[in-house]
Amino acid sequence: MTILLEQLLNGLTIGSFYALIALGYSMVYGVMKLINFAHGDLFALGSYMGYTLLVWSAGAISQRFGLWGGMAAALLFSFFAVGCVGVLMERIAYRPVQKSGRLPLVVSALGASIFIENLIMAIWGPRYQAYPASVVPVHTISLGFFHITVMQLFILILSFVLMLILYFIVQKTTFGAAIRATALDREMATILGIDVGKITLFIFFLGPALGGMAGVMNGMYYRQISFVMGWNYGLKAFTATILGGIGNIPAAMLGGLLLGLIEMLGAAYISSAWKDVFTFLILIIILIFRPTGLIGEKIAEKV
Amino acid sequence: MRKVKAVTWFCLCFVLLFALTASYTAVAQEKPIKIGLQAPITGQWAYEGEMAKNSVEVALQMIEEQGGILGGRKIEIVIADDASNPRDSALAAQRLVSQRVAAVIGTYGSSVNEPAADIYEANKMIDIGYGSTAVKLTMAKERKYFFRTCGRDDVQGEFFSEYAVGTMKARRIAIMHDNTTFALGVAEEAKRALKQYIDAGVAELVFYDAITPGEKDFTPILTKLRETNPDIWYFTGYFPEAGLLVRQGRELGIKCPFVGGNAAINEDFVKIAGIEYAKGCLMTQEPMPTDLDTPKAKRFLEVYRQKHNTVPTSPWPVYAADALFALTWAIDKAGSTDTDAMLKVLRTGMEGCQGITGSIAFTDRGDRKGIIYKMYVVTDKGEMVVYKP
Repeated sequence: MTILLEQLLNGLTIGSFYALIALGYSMVYGVMKLINFAHGDLFALGSYMGYTLLVWSAGAISQRFGLWGGMAAALLFSFFAVGCVGVLMERIAYRPVQKSGRLPLVVSALGASIFIENLIMAIWGPRYQAYPASVVPVHTISLGFFHITVMQLFILILSFVLMLILYFIVQKTTFGAAIRATALDREMATILGIDVGKITLFIFFLGPALGGMAGVMNGMYYRQISFVMGWNYGLKAFTATILGGIGNIPAAMLGGLLLGLIEMLGAAYISSAWKDVFTFLILIIILIFRPTGLIGEKIAEKV
Repeated sequence: MRKVKAVTWFCLCFVLLFALTASYTAVAQEKPIKIGLQAPITGQWAYEGEMAKNSVEVALQMIEEQGGILGGRKIEIVIADDASNPRDSALAAQRLVSQRVAAVIGTYGSSVNEPAADIYEANKMIDIGYGSTAVKLTMAKERKYFFRTCGRDDVQGEFFSEYAVGTMKARRIAIMHDNTTFALGVAEEAKRALKQYIDAGVAELVFYDAITPGEKDFTPILTKLRETNPDIWYFTGYFPEAGLLVRQGRELGIKCPFVGGNAAINEDFVKIAGIEYAKGCLMTQEPMPTDLDTPKAKRFLEVYRQKHNTVPTSPWPVYAADALFALTWAIDKAGSTDTDAMLKVLRTGMEGCQGITGSIAFTDRGDRKGIIYKMYVVTDKGEMVVYKP
């Protein structure tokens, strides 16, 4: 029982990462009809940004503002920095080719992915980097029969709050309605006077920014980052997006959490070596039997 | 008169011929025995090549001090640079073949050694590798002329089992790998060596499973590991996963000693695991030259220090020196540089041959016999030193 609870908790933690990355995929797909393959690498870039801030002049920020102050600074810094990179990427890599159809867009996205990955390697080097133990909480809270680390609790709460805010913005505000309208029908939205350019800008800021924040949390949790880590997480989050239903924001959250749980339970009760097999088996099954995802809209007719 | 003249000419010719032959034989006796050394003198492993060259020269000096071989015949080392890559390796091998050296020592990298070994094989020339530990060099196809003084990658698995059960008295053994060829090979070898102890009832294999390389979250498999309550935990994969495994395992409450293979523990491992968890971790590893305690090792290090003011800083150069000891032993026993005679000695007549890393003998496939590994431990400062239980 304790083991099951611990595994569920681990699954939710890793699921939160997937969910936050999946949100970026889903939002961008919603307004651009583009699978942003560079999204996983933006996630990796985020964890390097946070790392750099935290180790900057021997952890000066953490010493000055305390452990939590340093973490908040790293998360916010990564949020804005990666958000800006996302906006830049849209300007440089996507907008110029947007009119030429979907295939050039996808190729451009792959190119951006390779570019960012190598950029990280060029700046920070090919070796593994490690978040120092002094800048993250390492305590464990024991609840009698099972324990949870402070970091896990922090990740779960922060991800939940972020998703809640995003859900509120998208579902309850006028701006959110404009985003949804753009996702439904771009041309019609333009006719109705929605500034599609502004929406695109917002999406390309927020999606990568959330991914960057997830990157910092991931780095703090596992304390080990590498320049190639983005691809794997990108692929998993993409699977989560498909699982939930692409283009739908609550679906991406659900897909991420669900995938994390499936992976962890599969690894714990069946076999650890087959962990990735479960993930991609699910992707295939969903694509065959329910291509719109668990709670996705009928996108097949739209495109 | 005419007849006399002819006889004189004949005699003269004969004498001349005789003199020539005699002098030729005399020269032949003086001619040094050429032994090739193929090493990465340039390229990414230039550092290793340099140390190998120095080590072989030191070994040569030691042999000469002992009176040499075949009654004091001179030995000449012919160096061929393989530039740390397979393409130049083939060229270097061809050069040594055309120079008709008696046998070859070399080379360092397994992938570099492979094309060269094929060329030596085709030219019936003995080649003793000194840093090429890949399993496939001896096990993928049979090579008649290839030997190696270094261990085979997976032999450390056998060492682990013997050490864990024999020296550390561990009973419940857990083995973890990552399904890569290397790690799986080591794990399989450890499991195979463990069988005798399991049969004898002194050990149990309580856990044997794989992780996925590149993964970050190992809590599911570690939870399973914790349930088996092992006395010792061997991970044969690489350092990025090893670092995470140790930290996540310790946080989950796995307290037994952690042993890594020789790819698992380095300074990055210490960084990833954090020094609080890295210290005390063990590793199965080829011994560093300074940690060897054979009589020859002492003299070797002494001479090396005299000549170069330092000692070899990796385990491999001394295997090149050992290759020279093995070859000179074979030539001396065979009484000539005839390849077939030398082969026979290398296969069956190595008893008594002492190298820097201990006695040298080879298996049927050309692998080094005996175990030349040591257990190392991470200190409080994150350094690796020989473990003393």
